[in-house]
Amino acid sequence: MSEATSKHEPHWVMVIDLQKCLGCDTCTVACKAENRTPPGVSYNVVLETEIGQYPNTRKANLPRPCMQCDNPACAGVCPVGATTKGPGGIVTIDQSRCIGCRYCITACPYGARSFDFGESYTEMKGYNQVQAPEQGVERSERKKNAAPIGTVRKCTFCYHRLNRGEEPACVETCIGDARWFGDLNDPNSVVSRLAASPRAFRLKEELGTKPNVIYLK
Amino acid sequence: MTTLTGIPTATTRPTAKVVWYIALALILIGGGAAILYRLMGGLGTTYLTSVMPWGAWVAFYIYFVGLSAGAFLLSSLIYVFGMVRFEKVGKMALLTALVSMIVALAFIGLDLGRVDRAFTAMLRFNWMSPLAWEVRFYAVYIALLAAELWLAVRGREQDHRWLRILGTIGIPIAIFGVHGGTGTIFAVVKARGVWFGPMFPIVFILSALVSGTALLTLFYVVRQVARRLLVDKALVLDLGKLLAGFLMVDMGLFFYEMLVPMLSLNPHEQEVIHTMMSGRFAWSFWIVQVGLAFVGPAIILLSSLRRSWQWVTVAAAAVVIGIVGVRFNIVVPALIPPLLPGLPAGDYAPNLIEWASSAGLIALGLLIFSLGAEVLPLDENGGTTHG
Repeated sequence: MSEATSKHEPHWVMVIDLQKCLGCDTCTVACKAENRTPPGVSYNVVLETEIGQYPNTRKANLPRPCMQCDNPACAGVCPVGATTKGPGGIVTIDQSRCIGCRYCITACPYGARSFDFGESYTEMKGYNQVQAPEQGVERSERKKNAAPIGTVRKCTFCYHRLNRGEEPACVETCIGDARWFGDLNDPNSVVSRLAASPRAFRLKEELGTKPNVIYLK
Repeated sequence: MTTLTGIPTATTRPTAKVVWYIALALILIGGGAAILYRLMGGLGTTYLTSVMPWGAWVAFYIYFVGLSAGAFLLSSLIYVFGMVRFEKVGKMALLTALVSMIVALAFIGLDLGRVDRAFTAMLRFNWMSPLAWEVRFYAVYIALLAAELWLAVRGREQDHRWLRILGTIGIPIAIFGVHGGTGTIFAVVKARGVWFGPMFPIVFILSALVSGTALLTLFYVVRQVARRLLVDKALVLDLGKLLAGFLMVDMGLFFYEMLVPMLSLNPHEQEVIHTMMSGRFAWSFWIVQVGLAFVGPAIILLSSLRRSWQWVTVAAAAVVIGIVGVRFNIVVPALIPPLLPGLPAGDYAPNLIEWASSAGLIALGLLIFSLGAEVLPLDENGGTTHG
């Protein structure tokens, strides 16, 4: 396994402690602000469900970014190879290559991908800006009928922020400190130790996708 | 003009022909406007969403790929396996296969988020992706169909060997490449349980044979009647027998396709079946799919009605319409149940733009077919008796 042998190549993982998640949706909002995602495109959402039968019920919150799988189903089905495993194990979409067939959206078991239908918020400041770190484009103008409009989009673990030594926006803003971000190749990192916790699990592990978002029960 | 069968050809009643072409032209104008609107406005003009990424156009795409593969395989019965009793529909089968494939590609092209990058699909390759292989299979298949059609209408004695060779190469391409492969696009998607598994490629091949045979039967009868030529009753009844055989196997597979997910206790798969059978579009399952595509035609083709060419034609028409329901029920219900608890459920019905553009592309196919059928000597008994 290449990620285990190379010291220089990080293996980015995110750990989310579900006991600490309040369901406040700050991560979702921070992500929208950071990535300027248009209406209908959300890289991160918090899935709120009610479990159990009255009166023994509880609310469960499950924040869902992209899992950045080690075996990404989305990358396998892409006919043009626009989705690839990028640096640090982040699953990236080349928005200048994607043909918009949306096969990957059907293949992702986590519903983590969105199609950019070209809508824009108009009431938000900077609505016409686009953050597309895959193309090295930052805060460029969102032009009509130009990529990423007409392509598929998803969370990149805020790759552009990692490049300047910052955490993903959702991790930084989480008010309950429910999220950690770090390098699984560093055995001393917090995420490496949390990944070994008996509380640790990943979503739909049985599918063999090997997600890089680790939840703590 | 006299045909080889000795029946004087009263060419199509001029008024009927004019009405037909005017009707096609009107649909084409409406559909063309919808297509133009969609091309300028992007996919935001449809009712597709990120939850329901595939809809009517993908359903029509697999519908027409199926019609093409089925029509082609029928032609191979003639040109490869020498079943001369079907020879009258041989060239028409090749033309049908070619036109259906063009329409299929038009549908999937229209469905692309970035139509301007359609050719990227040819330039870039991901060997893991069934869709990447399909694009290439479609290209080879279209070239092969065009070559076969050209050889068949040229009708030279020495071309027969080539027709047999091309037809033989075409069989695995059509079965495993074109339609089995299109089924594989769905079969590899583990996230959607009802698609996943080796069943789908086989179901696709069978449903291709069913729909292709039905379409050829319908086209044959409609063309003969429109041109006031005698319908070869024996031919239609034989096609009916073939259709009955394919339909029985397809229905058997359909039974297992429903049964296994229902007994699997997999909640997601059960929910898809539940959506199909009792959801908002249950009518498309029970009336269009089960009624028109399966049970109705099966009753006709297995009862004494099978001895009437008119009833066989009715069965064929029912199948041609019913398989549209089959295609929609492959694509849409599997996308409806949420992938994780808390995610939104899918909600989709094609909007006017999607329906109008679909009608336009179907009219385009019928127009190409009609013009092709007028220009090409489809009915001449090429090579064997004709000098």
